[in-house]
Amino acid sequence: MQPLGRSDPSRSSRSTGNVPPVPLPRPVGPNSIDHSASLVFVWTTVLAVWLLSLLPWRAWPISPDLLLLVIVFWSLHDSRRVGLFTAFAFGLVMDVHDVGPLGLQALTYTVMVFGVQTWQRRLLRFELLSQALHLLPLFVLVKALGALLGAFLVSAWPGWSWLVAALITAALWPAIAWLLLLPQHRLQDTDANVG
Amino acid sequence: MQRTATLRLFRHGPAAEVKLTLLMLLAVVLMFTDGTYKSSNPVRELMSMTLYPFQRLVMFPRDLIAMSHDWFDAAAMIKSETEALQRQRIELAQVTTNAALLGAENAQLRRLLGVFEKAAEHPAIVVQVLYEPANSFSRRLVFNKGSRAGIAIGMPILDEGGVVGQITRVSPMTSEAAMLTDEVVSIPVQVLRNGLRLIAFGSTTPGKVEVRYFSSDADIREGDLLVTSGVGGVFPPGLSVGRVDQVQRSSASGFARAEALPSSHPERYRQFLVLQVPLDSGVAAGALKPSTSTEAARATSRSK
Repeated sequence: MQPLGRSDPSRSSRSTGNVPPVPLPRPVGPNSIDHSASLVFVWTTVLAVWLLSLLPWRAWPISPDLLLLVIVFWSLHDSRRVGLFTAFAFGLVMDVHDVGPLGLQALTYTVMVFGVQTWQRRLLRFELLSQALHLLPLFVLVKALGALLGAFLVSAWPGWSWLVAALITAALWPAIAWLLLLPQHRLQDTDANVG
Repeated sequence: MQRTATLRLFRHGPAAEVKLTLLMLLAVVLMFTDGTYKSSNPVRELMSMTLYPFQRLVMFPRDLIAMSHDWFDAAAMIKSETEALQRQRIELAQVTTNAALLGAENAQLRRLLGVFEKAAEHPAIVVQVLYEPANSFSRRLVFNKGSRAGIAIGMPILDEGGVVGQITRVSPMTSEAAMLTDEVVSIPVQVLRNGLRLIAFGSTTPGKVEVRYFSSDADIREGDLLVTSGVGGVFPPGLSVGRVDQVQRSSASGFARAEALPSSHPERYRQFLVLQVPLDSGVAAGALKPSTSTEAARATSRSK
């Protein structure tokens, strides 16, 4: 792919080799497209939080869905690596671990990631707290979908603990996102241009 | 600074909507076919097998702590257990003499009546809780032994208080059990006081067992003990199930329902007993075969 600024043949003949005489112009403001986190970091965090989710603390009915939070984070910041298929796969694995209806969490995870990716451009323009406010209705809707479908399949209403769990999950977004942005030195990207 | 990676401006592959639709369809198909498998879902079994080492890996610290705890407490535990056993032995001695008398009397009465009942003795497997799944729809436990240890779907689970539940899913290394209070479990029971035969179900009230479908004038009271009746053959007779704590009689429908508190405590300990009762047709056929062959032998010897 040819960068736009170098299409002039007279200029390229004067330059020696491939190195341009002046550095290529870069956008001043934050550009959300051309960042990509390290492959190892992405998958290490996802697998670590997945292993953490296999522990029994999730038996507490209002425990937040940390795995979904991390998958949502990476589908927002690195949508090429973590997307709908990843969400589906991890949802299915958690279905088997939780011995619930097979495919239920897979469906909710997939819908959640789709919602996040539809809103990706918008979400990335806000700082973390506003992102959490944007994600809150998504979490609630997706968890409501899971509760309703589960109630239909098992013919038992699970109670309202999922709503509290969704609220806690959304409330944890700023903390988790801050932690995951910290090693990438990219905190300035999110809270730069709110006004 | 020049970026080494090329910038991808456009997404490749199918559109997100197409992927979403496909994955949602797949999820719905999985959901609706999951319940239709009679024995076990191959997708689930395969994933469960793959998941097992990871589950053991993350549980390892907890198991280690439990093991070391057991190790250091062993002496004190054995001492207190011995004391309790001594006391029990003295108490049971009286009961045993009485029971021997009753047993002899009972056998004689049975002979008089012409009823023959052989007390079925089933082999049992001790299992440990691997984890308690986070599932708000049903109450389940996952055990650390599966079909390789000889566990099959439908086998009853006991603890020292009585019936805990029933095995609902089995994979080679793990098995999943539904508690008595889960709605999928139903047990044929009997009121100990008067022998009234009933069926107990998991209740909509959490932590309770419900008895339904009996007429509103049936003789059942609060405080009655429920034991398994042995009807149906899955649960051996005489196992404690629970104590009735509420009876609702409806004169409008002509039926009554009662709620009972289970006598077992699945939330308290980690070890349970799985009774290997013969369940599937293969075992039943195996049990039937010798009798038919002896009959055939008898018939041939008669013909000779």
